[in-house]
Amino acid sequence: MRVAMRATMRVAARAVMRAAARVAARVAGSCPTVCVRMALVLTIALCLGTLAACGSMPDSVIVVAGSTSVQPYAEVLAEEFEHQHSENGIDVQGGGSTAGVTAVESGIADIGMSSRSLKEAEQALWSIEIAKDGLAVIVHPQNPIADLSLTQVRGIYSGEISRWSELGGVGTQIHVIAREEGSGTRSAFEELVMGNHRITPRAIIQDSNGAVMQLVADDRNAVGFVSLGLVELHPDAVKALRLDGVEASGRNVVSGTYGLYRPFLFVTDGEPKGLTKQFVDFVLSAPGQQILEREGLVPVTADREDEG
Amino acid sequence: MFEKGEEGRLAPGPALGPEPEPEPGPEPGPSSGSGSVLGNGINPRTRAVKLRTRAVNLYYGDYHALRDITMDIHGCTITAIIGPSGCGKSSLLRLFNRMNDLIPGVRVEGQILLDDQPITGKPTDVTMLRRRVGMVFQRPNVFPMSIYDNVVIGPRRHGVKQRLALDAIAERSLRQVALWEELKDSLKKQAMGLSPGQQQRLCIARALAVKPEIILMDESCSALDPESTMKIEGLMLELTKEYTIIIVTHNMEQARRVSDMSAFMMIDEDKVGTLVEYAPTLELFANPRHQQTEDYITGRYG
Amino acid sequence: MMRKFREKLPGRIFFLLALSSISVLALITVFIVVQGAPIIARVGVIDFVFGMSWAPSQGEYGIFPMIVGSLSVTLGAVVLGVPIGICCSIFLAEFAPVRLRNLFRPAIQLLAGIPSVVYGLWGLIFIVPFIRNYMGGPGLSILAGSVVLAIMILPTVISISEVSILALPPAYKEGALALGMTHWQAIRSVQLPAAKSGIVAAVILGIGRAIGETMAVIMLLGNAVALPSSILDPIRTLTTNIGIEMGYATGEHREALFATGIVLFVVIMILNSTAQTIVKRKKDQ
Repeated sequence: MRVAMRATMRVAARAVMRAAARVAARVAGSCPTVCVRMALVLTIALCLGTLAACGSMPDSVIVVAGSTSVQPYAEVLAEEFEHQHSENGIDVQGGGSTAGVTAVESGIADIGMSSRSLKEAEQALWSIEIAKDGLAVIVHPQNPIADLSLTQVRGIYSGEISRWSELGGVGTQIHVIAREEGSGTRSAFEELVMGNHRITPRAIIQDSNGAVMQLVADDRNAVGFVSLGLVELHPDAVKALRLDGVEASGRNVVSGTYGLYRPFLFVTDGEPKGLTKQFVDFVLSAPGQQILEREGLVPVTADREDEG
Repeated sequence: MFEKGEEGRLAPGPALGPEPEPEPGPEPGPSSGSGSVLGNGINPRTRAVKLRTRAVNLYYGDYHALRDITMDIHGCTITAIIGPSGCGKSSLLRLFNRMNDLIPGVRVEGQILLDDQPITGKPTDVTMLRRRVGMVFQRPNVFPMSIYDNVVIGPRRHGVKQRLALDAIAERSLRQVALWEELKDSLKKQAMGLSPGQQQRLCIARALAVKPEIILMDESCSALDPESTMKIEGLMLELTKEYTIIIVTHNMEQARRVSDMSAFMMIDEDKVGTLVEYAPTLELFANPRHQQTEDYITGRYG
Repeated sequence: MMRKFREKLPGRIFFLLALSSISVLALITVFIVVQGAPIIARVGVIDFVFGMSWAPSQGEYGIFPMIVGSLSVTLGAVVLGVPIGICCSIFLAEFAPVRLRNLFRPAIQLLAGIPSVVYGLWGLIFIVPFIRNYMGGPGLSILAGSVVLAIMILPTVISISEVSILALPPAYKEGALALGMTHWQAIRSVQLPAAKSGIVAAVILGIGRAIGETMAVIMLLGNAVALPSSILDPIRTLTTNIGIEMGYATGEHREALFATGIVLFVVIMILNSTAQTIVKRKKDQ
């Protein structure tokens, strides 16, 4: 929303304000004192400017909507993109992967963000992977456990393992933290870890990566899963577990040794054109990928040529 | 409000109505100060003094409400306080059970003695005082609960717990106000459903249930119809055998009908309530010593 | 003719305005029912309301744990908040010196104006760690939600109870004191019973606020969809189920969330009408 506001204000208001000020100045021309004249000019200009800004959206704004996991990265990219192309606006919204895909299908959004692969019914859309995001299984920094097997993680999340002592830790109950139904992170975790097992209904549900992080950082008995990028940004808050002996890191995601990762996709209705294409190209360009890497994601620059 | 004085006088129990006519007593002269007698032939002034006030002044903050009230109230009599509106009648009445304490900034000077014990000042146990000095208000203020609970709420709060004892208190109190026969089968009903007259008698029963020594009645008939008023006046005369009753009334006929002693109050030139004249009722109405009293009782006031 | 019209005009205008607010209510109800009823019909009322498993991705829609959640958290809030609220209202109406009252009243009004997300944050920072460290469990729990909801319903309970005590005719208090009761006896045995219907109304409104609250409890309850075994367990309420999943829900899942709204509607109506019957019955006696 913030981005949208700024884009709208800048594009629409700037031009119109100038015109409005001219109109206002002419109206106020007959007023006696400088002070009054100034005030009048300002008032009229503001009124006209606001009206104009509310009344029309410029063509050079595109809407990017979807996964809340991708959203923060897209916002950073949009900000940088707007910085370079100041006459254009990128409006980034959340809503979830599925909502983002639906929004593109129905033409509400120009670009959909998805933190999962497209389902079969969605294959008709054009999509491109902009980055990979590892999933980290996290515990409190003071938890003695540092390494679990994928089977053990599945055991914890299915509810079969309920005490840390069963994994060689202290004898307290495991506080299992998961994301809500419909979240891309959750479905990626279900797909990559759970297989055909279900996440226990006793799991505590939090509705954002940040909330899961915060909770695990506060609770010695908690275990959660979040975007690896987020963990790399706050390495001291929580501890990312090694999975089957492999450290959770961007390098291991790129090399393929760390298996818990999902694609971040941009989805459009047909080949991107115009501003949409410009933005997609920017994201896939070296500076765009550098931004994503800096923010903790795993860049996809290497495979760009094959898919583009 | 009650013009047929004759009927009103006849209505109460036959033996107890005070005779308005000058009694051919031993000392007939009204100016002698002891010429009036009770209906049963006893001079009210021969009764032991129950309540004394000595130079009592009452202030509400800066407002001087009562000035130098000195009077003796005799036991087992009915004393009426009369006077125009705003003269401090109710304020005086509310001194006797310390109800004025509820008003912030109230201040009392002088002495009030109940059975020769002071009841002003801090050391007085006000709740104990109010158990000895009951009060019935201008409008019936039954509580929103059953008739039975209304009557026994006082004793209950004062520690009577046994059902039988409470039942006995309820019956005795309701009999005293002649409500028992009417209500004995509907004790569980809401008291709010009673007629105003019944409600006011219920309030008297509620006050009696605590076994007070003095009953204060603050214009307790003014909101009632003539028939209910008559019943309550009859009740007062009945109760005066055991209780000392002090009433405030606007109704001079009522004062004349039921009271043994009358106190006439008025505001003085400083707008402070003062006691103008205090005398046996017969004497005060027949031969007022002050011009103001005479003006008031003959309706020439104001 | 004209005059008659003029006399009736204000009534008509007010009627129209009243109608508009009612029709908004009707619209909302219709909307929720239209959106949610189909899935209840498909799943079956019994299976939907008493079903134990909520897994929209598997096509399982049972909301019984959430009904238990809503009721238990609300009960907790009432048990903790109502006694404190009533005591506070008695204090303000009967005991507080004027200066203290003038300090308390606006403070309590302010409490009502704090956004619920702030309450949630506060609970997350103070109550949840306290429970986790000193009582056990993950901290996010029925207890945490109840404590914060209890505080959130305080302004409602206090101000309505206080008003209903202050609205009593002074004759009740005078009558009670004149019988030789102490101030506290007068309050307990006369004033409180007399103010009962107002106090019950305060409690009902408090319950309404507690059961409808969403934001704060999302942050505090842990939102697990399982029957709790103690007040230290996490739980999900009907409102939080909608609040936490609506963002991503599509298709049948979305319908099931509207259906949750229908059940919440019904639960609130049942609670309200029960409370009103209780008040009425007490009055009729």
